[in-house]
Amino acid sequence: MTSAAISLPKEGIKSRVNTTLGMVFFIGSWSMSFGTLFLAFAVLRQRSGVWPPVGIALPSLPMATLATAVLIASSVAFHRALQGIDAKDSNAVRADGLGLPWIIGLVTGVAFALLQGWLWMDLMAAGRNPSSGLYESLFYGLTWVHALHVGIGLLSLLWATIGLAAGRYGSHRFSTINNIVIFWHFVDVVWIVLYLAFFIF
Amino acid sequence: MSGDHIHAEPTNFFRKHVFSVDHKVIAKQFLWFGLVWLGIGGIMAMLIRWQLANPGDPVPVIGSFLFPRTGGVIDPATYNTLFTMHGTIMIFLGLTPLIIGCVGNWAIPLMIGARDMIFPLLNCLSFWTVFAGGCVGFYSLFVPLGATEAGWTGYPTLSTTVNGLGSGETLWAIAVFLIGASSIMGGINYMTTVIRLRAPGMTWGRLPLTVWGLFLTSALNVLFIPVIGSAMLLLIMDRVFGTTFFVPASIMQGGGGGDPILYQHLFWIFGHPEVYILILPAWGIIGDLLSFFARKPAFGYRAQVGAMTAVTVLSAVVYGHHMFTTGLSAMLGESFMLLTMIISVPAEILFFSWLHTIWRGNIRFTVPMLWSVGVIFVFGLGGLTGIYCATIGTDIFLHDTYFIVGHFHLTMAASALFAAFGAIVFFFPKMFGRMMSPLLGKLHFWLTIIPLVSVFCMMFVMGYAGMPRRYYDHTSMEFLASLQHMNKAATHMAFLLGSAQLIFVFNFIKSRWFGKPASTNPWEVGTLDWQTETPLPHYNFKDIPTVVTGPHEFSHPALPEGRDWISMTEELPSA
Repeated sequence: MTSAAISLPKEGIKSRVNTTLGMVFFIGSWSMSFGTLFLAFAVLRQRSGVWPPVGIALPSLPMATLATAVLIASSVAFHRALQGIDAKDSNAVRADGLGLPWIIGLVTGVAFALLQGWLWMDLMAAGRNPSSGLYESLFYGLTWVHALHVGIGLLSLLWATIGLAAGRYGSHRFSTINNIVIFWHFVDVVWIVLYLAFFIF
Repeated sequence: MSGDHIHAEPTNFFRKHVFSVDHKVIAKQFLWFGLVWLGIGGIMAMLIRWQLANPGDPVPVIGSFLFPRTGGVIDPATYNTLFTMHGTIMIFLGLTPLIIGCVGNWAIPLMIGARDMIFPLLNCLSFWTVFAGGCVGFYSLFVPLGATEAGWTGYPTLSTTVNGLGSGETLWAIAVFLIGASSIMGGINYMTTVIRLRAPGMTWGRLPLTVWGLFLTSALNVLFIPVIGSAMLLLIMDRVFGTTFFVPASIMQGGGGGDPILYQHLFWIFGHPEVYILILPAWGIIGDLLSFFARKPAFGYRAQVGAMTAVTVLSAVVYGHHMFTTGLSAMLGESFMLLTMIISVPAEILFFSWLHTIWRGNIRFTVPMLWSVGVIFVFGLGGLTGIYCATIGTDIFLHDTYFIVGHFHLTMAASALFAAFGAIVFFFPKMFGRMMSPLLGKLHFWLTIIPLVSVFCMMFVMGYAGMPRRYYDHTSMEFLASLQHMNKAATHMAFLLGSAQLIFVFNFIKSRWFGKPASTNPWEVGTLDWQTETPLPHYNFKDIPTVVTGPHEFSHPALPEGRDWISMTEELPSA
């Protein structure tokens, strides 16, 4: 590609702070949104006598644990990938950015989405659907909202992958790719809280 | 340079006037959008008043057009829809776009000396999201079984499928969600812009109070709108996918187990900050305007900023006073009562600062000044009556009566509306390059404030006498029948109030195209927005100005004879 030969100007530190600050506010807002869902979870769980309900099929603990591990792996991989991108020009970025960590992150991210789908199908196959009761309401409701964010995160990462392949990032536009990865970390943290809430405590 | 992110001036019509990323165009879009919805919500208020004064009579003139099925009579279901949509429209589609969308977009970049918002594309998206929300809300009025009837608070179980079968309620929730998403985008943009794009020398201590109010409002928007967003998502799931977050076991066979009171908690965790979301910009605006037109520095600038910040923080921890009658534990109720009362301390600091600002000032009674003084008056009335709503003992009696309706209309609705009118008249010359007619403006002011205060003060009396809100026909109850003459009087006043708004519409339209051309700085104030030329160039400021003086340096003794103001970019002459 010819674009690799063009050296682009470095992204100003001011502009990098601007976009990152905006992202921090976004994450604060999203935390309140998920915090509300967890508040609803806590209140409704407190109100029910027995938790989790007995005598019905529950989502599979081993598969949920696997999903958690996969998603954490994905976050770690993207973090490593970013370290390879920062402060490099776009020529080096294509080699380093699209290296092994990035690919691992992407694959594990998709794997998590598939595992999430499997968890739903498994529960549906056991006859538990969203209208079956309070536990199902909470499990489907909260994972739906989370999965929506997983979807947005994966699409953004896919878009970033195309951008990386085209040599669009690097020191001149680092904050774009950085923000996408920050969002992905956030999605990861929310899942960990979901996992702890539904499967551990 | 802190303003060097510049987007080129668009040449194409769509990029220039429709999907514009320019904050000045977006501010005007919010202005027209808010005014149209204010009109729709206002007509609904008139219909509500008609039904209250003449229960069951066909609405004259427009009745047979609006309600052909009943021959012009407002039936009970339609009445429920009217007060529900009146509240939703006025708060989310009328006042929010005007006082935050329009004033925020206009004032923030110009007052802090920036060339645009920091995220112009997000700004554009914010407007078109609220536009989509407005369209969904408007569409919901025409679906089978009608729009939502659950009240603007949308409490379950009224709002679940157990009571509201049609799609109106679901569409309402989607609309509120979209409007909320728009507010979050706006809030993030405003906060980041104020933090990052202030001109050199524009320290936090020199920010105009308008910008302070909008900044604090944005923080509340970013933190608390997501709460109602999630509540709406849960409500939509309950309605569409059969989940039971808010559906109790007692009313649903073989399922349920949810908690309707949980919704009330979620709603008011958002709902109380929302009150301050609307009032904080109003406080900021009048803090500036009172100083501008009293030709005196704003009294207690730091105290005002501190008080507004204190209210912002406190607003997050008082929501329980909306729920005293839900069986809240006594300890929790008393804590909420105490915290609510504490808010009156910063509110009084603001109040005394305003009074002290105009005290012995060289007051110019321009139209924006009248509206600002009007805010002090109606906010004072609303604030004083708020004490009875905050005290558990009196609130249990007053809960869900017209006393509450009168209280919140004065405190939040009228104060925010008056500040919005003041801001529109104040910014109009810079926005459109023409002056609004002061004569019509004054007429509009007096014909608004007198009937408005009459209507809501009569509501206090009727509410104290026990008249509940949201009832279709009060005359069917013997103990309320004697209040009917007052209901009729309130309705006459409301119609006067409604017709007075036509003066504003006429003045606005006429002045927009045929008004007297405005000079660069017709109000003779020092803030940066009035130092650039009129009409504004695409980039606002050719060179980013350097600020050396505070925003309210009026009547300074060191100023030369015959001049009582100084621009923020000018050094004060040493005395």
